[in-house]
Parts: sequence; structure tokens; C-alpha cells
Amino acid sequence: MIFLFAGFAALLVASSLLVVLHRNPVTSALFLVLAFCSLGGIYLLLQAEFVALVQVIVYAGAIMVLFLFVIMYLNLRQDVERGVQTAIRRGLGWLVGAVLLAEAFALIAKRWQVGPVSGGPEMLEGNTQAIGRALYTRYLFPFEITSLLLLVAMIGVIVIAKGRGGTAAADDSAEEKP
Amino acid sequence: MSGVIPLSWSLALSATLFVIGVVGVLVRRNALVIFMSIELMLNAANLAFVAFGRSLQSLDGQIFVFFVMTVAAAEVAVGLAIIVNLFRLRETVFVDEVNLLKG
Amino acid sequence: MREYLPILLFLIVAAVFAGSTIGMSSLIVPRRRNARKDSAYECGVDPVGNARARFTIKFYLVAVVFILFDIEAVFLYPWAVTFRQLGLYGLVEMLLFIVILLVGYVYLLKKRAFEWD
Repeated sequence: MIFLFAGFAALLVASSLLVVLHRNPVTSALFLVLAFCSLGGIYLLLQAEFVALVQVIVYAGAIMVLFLFVIMYLNLRQDVERGVQTAIRRGLGWLVGAVLLAEAFALIAKRWQVGPVSGGPEMLEGNTQAIGRALYTRYLFPFEITSLLLLVAMIGVIVIAKGRGGTAAADDSAEEKP
Repeated sequence: MSGVIPLSWSLALSATLFVIGVVGVLVRRNALVIFMSIELMLNAANLAFVAFGRSLQSLDGQIFVFFVMTVAAAEVAVGLAIIVNLFRLRETVFVDEVNLLKG
Repeated sequence: MREYLPILLFLIVAAVFAGSTIGMSSLIVPRRRNARKDSAYECGVDPVGNARARFTIKFYLVAVVFILFDIEAVFLYPWAVTFRQLGLYGLVEMLLFIVILLVGYVYLLKKRAFEWD
């Protein structure tokens, strides 16, 4: 189990690093799919079975499809990253990242948190059922608010992407060539 | 069951993922890649939620993950629509070329 | 973790099967190369241009609607498996959830988001 965790973690870190480093946005998006899938594997190891499947369905299945559609619409090639200003910003970015990482690991190494709870009672019913019961009783109100959030997102997207006139994408310059 | 994953391992992985996301936001100029890095950070938070929930024997962590995912989906939908509009107006997705407000 | 053993077996069988099929065919296949055989679709149309052509933005609207209803389906699943325990209470709250999303759906219909042209 420890080895599986290490394997998934290595895959996750490597693919998310490639997301950040790769110049081609399409390749970045595909590595992000790999990262999400390996994160799903880690959720499985942490006994969050339903979350793992939802991770694959929602993130790798739906959100990344949206990313790919937009990348294909914009028709991006390799990013050009040149110039002194860009180099300075890159250096600063990596510096900030290194400081943050060192800080995080210093905090984790302090072991102020509770240690791993060993084993614990195995749940008799399925993970999905337990989630359902908590979600629809204790978290009823956030759940209903979620639907409002989705409604607002839906309307927002239509207003931004189609304009107020209701005409289909007025200056749709992206018609593909025959 | 051949052993339980220590909480600190999951937290270290979550911190690493978050830092990669931060570096991505700071280093890249492509708005789409910046968005992907933000997704990485949200996923790091999700991983921390699940890890703590596992360690505390509680389901609340996993339920928070659902709400985070919903917010992420809404954010991606609206954000990408904004990027599409930006591209239509300015023919660029590089965030440092969008300096209309700089005067 | 023991209950995931069948999945592991399945993965191994799938990997071995795919690898061996491709490996065998690349080992024993006869190779007679000519220009016609090397074209992308041997008996089909000739490929024109780059595969990375631009898509229309209409796909984007459909994909957005797909995401939002995908999230709805994710919330429906744990509801469905606990439906008997929740009873009428659960039915009412899920109806409220779906009605709110239905408002958005009606808005999309009114805005003609689903019409292709």
C-alpha cells in the first residue's frame, strides 16, 4: 500500500510538473488528465472510493474536455517565452515556490498534528451510502446553495459567450475550413 | 491491509502539488496554463481534505471535496468563457499582454 | 485493499493483451511499403492540412452545459443509493435542487444555446 501510494505520488508530481513546464498547451492539458487520474488512485488508497470515481468523471472527464475545446478553439501553438522580463519572472516564480515548499515541509516535519489513526473501524456500509446520508441531512443547505451556484455559472457563461442579443456567437471567426 | 498511509505523507504530497500550482501561476504567461495550475491548487486542497478526513475517521472531508469540485467546475466554465472573449477582443491569451488598464 | 485484486488482475490482463497483440502483429506482419500504403487512411480520403484545425465555439457551449449537468449527476448518485433512508424529505430536497437547475435549462433554451446555427 505504501508502495502504491509512492508510485501514484511520483506519477502525480511528475505529471503536474510537466503541466507547468511543457510549452504546448495541449500536452499540458493531457498531462493534467494523467495527474487527475493518479490523484484518483491516491483517493482510493485513502479509502475515499466515491470521491476517487467522481474525481475521474468530473475532472478528467468533463473539466479537461472543456479545456481541450478552448485550446482547440484558440488554436494555440508553442508558447514563446523570451526576453529579460520573462526570465526574471520565471526566476522569481521558482524562488517563491522553493520558499513555500521549504516552509510547508518545515511545518509538516514538526509533527504537531495527530499521528496516523491506526486502522479504525471498517465501515459496514458502502462509502457512497455514508456520503449520501451525511450530504442530504447535515449538509442540506450547502447542497441547495450548490444548485444556485451552478445556475449562476450557467447564466454567466451564456451571457459572456453569446452576448446579450441571443445571437449565436456574433463574430465567430473560428469556422473551420472546408 | 498492509499498513496505513501516514497523514504527514499525504500532507507533504498535497503541499508539493500546491507549490507546483503556485509556481505555474507565477511562471507561465498563458492564461490557459495558469487556469490549469489553479486546478492543481484546488486539487491539492482536496487531497488535504480527504487525508484529514481519513485520519480523523470522518466523512466531512470527503463532502467538502464535492463542494470544491462544484466550485471548480463553475469557475472553469466562467473563466474559460472570459478567456474566449479576451481572445476575440485582443487576439492573445498571454496575461502580460492584457494591459489595457495600465494606461 | 483485497477487494481491488480483481481490478488489478483486470488491468494486468488488459495490459498484457494489448501489448501482446500489438507486439505480435508488429513482429509477424509482412511489410511491403509503397506510397499508397503509407498514407494515413489507406483506402479513404487523403488527409488535408493539420489535424489541429480550429474548432467552432459552439462545441464550448455544449461542453459547458455537459459539465454542469455532470455535476448534477454526481450529486444524484449518492442520493439514489440512500433514497430509502431519506424518504420524502430526500425527495423534496432533490426536487428543489433539480428545479433550480431546470430554471437554468429553460434559460438556455430561451437563449437558443442548443441551436447549432
